[in-house]
Amino acid sequence: MSGFGGWIRTYAALIRNAWLVDLQYRAAIGLWMLWGVTEPAIALGIWWAIAGAGPVAGYARGDFVRYFFALMLVNQLTIAWDSWYLDRWIREGDLNFRLARPLNPVHEAVADNIAYKARTGVVILAVWLLAAAVWPAARMPIQPTRWALAVLAVVGAAMMRFFISFATGLLAFWTTRATAIMELHAGVSLFLAGRIAPLALLPPAVAGIAGVLWFRYMLAFPIDLLTGAVPDGDALRRGFAGQIIWLAIWFAAYRVAWSRGIRRYGAVGG
Amino acid sequence: MTTTTAGRGKREGGRVPRWLHVLAALWRLNVAEELQYRANFFASVLGTVFGIGTALLTLAVFFRHTTRLGGWDYWEVVVLLGVFNALTGVIEAVLRPGIGQLAGEVRSGQLDLVLSRPVDAQAFVSFRRLDIWRLTDVALGLGLAAYALHRLGHVPSALELAAFGVAFASAAVVVYAIWVVLMSLAFWLVAVENLSVLFDALYEGARYPVSAYPGVLRFVFVYLVPIAWTTTIPASALTGRLGPGIGLVAAAVAIAAFALARWLWQRALKRYTGASG
Repeated sequence: MSGFGGWIRTYAALIRNAWLVDLQYRAAIGLWMLWGVTEPAIALGIWWAIAGAGPVAGYARGDFVRYFFALMLVNQLTIAWDSWYLDRWIREGDLNFRLARPLNPVHEAVADNIAYKARTGVVILAVWLLAAAVWPAARMPIQPTRWALAVLAVVGAAMMRFFISFATGLLAFWTTRATAIMELHAGVSLFLAGRIAPLALLPPAVAGIAGVLWFRYMLAFPIDLLTGAVPDGDALRRGFAGQIIWLAIWFAAYRVAWSRGIRRYGAVGG
Repeated sequence: MTTTTAGRGKREGGRVPRWLHVLAALWRLNVAEELQYRANFFASVLGTVFGIGTALLTLAVFFRHTTRLGGWDYWEVVVLLGVFNALTGVIEAVLRPGIGQLAGEVRSGQLDLVLSRPVDAQAFVSFRRLDIWRLTDVALGLGLAAYALHRLGHVPSALELAAFGVAFASAAVVVYAIWVVLMSLAFWLVAVENLSVLFDALYEGARYPVSAYPGVLRFVFVYLVPIAWTTTIPASALTGRLGPGIGLVAAAVAIAAFALARWLWQRALKRYTGASG
């Protein structure tokens, strides 16, 4: 497998395979998707009630509707379950036959993510469009440049969350509690990534931490870009710069965890 | 069918029913097994404390911008959060490891092994496992509710406590009925192993008082999917927001939910027997 064409063919085959596997589990995938949108839906319900008395820190009811619809979509497009897969692969030995293939298992995981997100992202987008057709609050102003930038930020966030999940899953080489670490990360991201509320509604100190660490670039930044809460100019450039830096750091973390873990795994296997 | 599945030690003609013996033996075995893994106890407690911590911080974010949530003030919602955690303990200790496994067993055919036993299948499937460490969630949740009551300055009367006891027991029955109904769906939709996710999605709604939700959702939670009866009602009985009479209403809802679940289970089981020949 050499050259660009080879990679295209490899990925096309991997994605096709993942797509067909997912097709068999479409009911189960539908349930996971439903589960994924409940948390934002309930948060929206609560903020909707609170904003009934007037805008909250500049967020009116309609702003909350757009924020949480964007959250549902961006979260579905960027979520990565790879920690749980890797934990199982490593503990139960499913990693062995994957290592025997002439292809790094990370490519299979990337292809799985692409197939899964294409399938579920389209569903959520369709639901949003239907909602927007009947409910003016769910409508976004049409700004093609913004949308293009948001797509870039979503791709960046998806890559970063993938490497976070993959690198954390690789900790299963050393500990049996890799998925617990991921749960902990999910708990922190509830606040710092903007899952429970827009970052502007958190105490300024907390929102500040979210911007220094990687959490903001997982969800809040792409969402704010889409809804227009990030102004053009400096804020925009700083946002993308932060995302690229943290993406690079998590990619490096994945490389280190992979090369060390594999050596350790080999030693155990004999 | 004369047995009850509520597990309250009801006697039949003066004899302890056989399923109760079976249950006691199963739980003894479970406890002996779990006691070997004491590290799980600490992991479980840490997980619960972390869960309660994030829930309290979430409330803090909401209450930064409001003084009331659906007419409830901060400590009232914390009472509800305590009830939510106590009920979560019941779910994680008994329901998820028991009836929560059903969807996978219908799919793989392992249910045959259960049905061939000379005990009531629903009782066996529902109460076969006891994950004792998660019972600490019940204690931590009730402790949190007690602390919040103290902060509210409300000392519940004996009658209110009794009403809470009945409402909480009813909440456990209602949650159980929801599990049975969802798991019975597995008999029709065989290819869905993660049906329990549907429960998790619904149960998310129980974190806040139903009065905080928009009208349509509130109606659904009170009358269609009885989520309101799991946390809002017991918490209201404890804080005195609703009179003690609500305990009786909660008990009636629980009986109705249980009867419906039992009926659906039996219809579902007929389907399974029919399918396997």
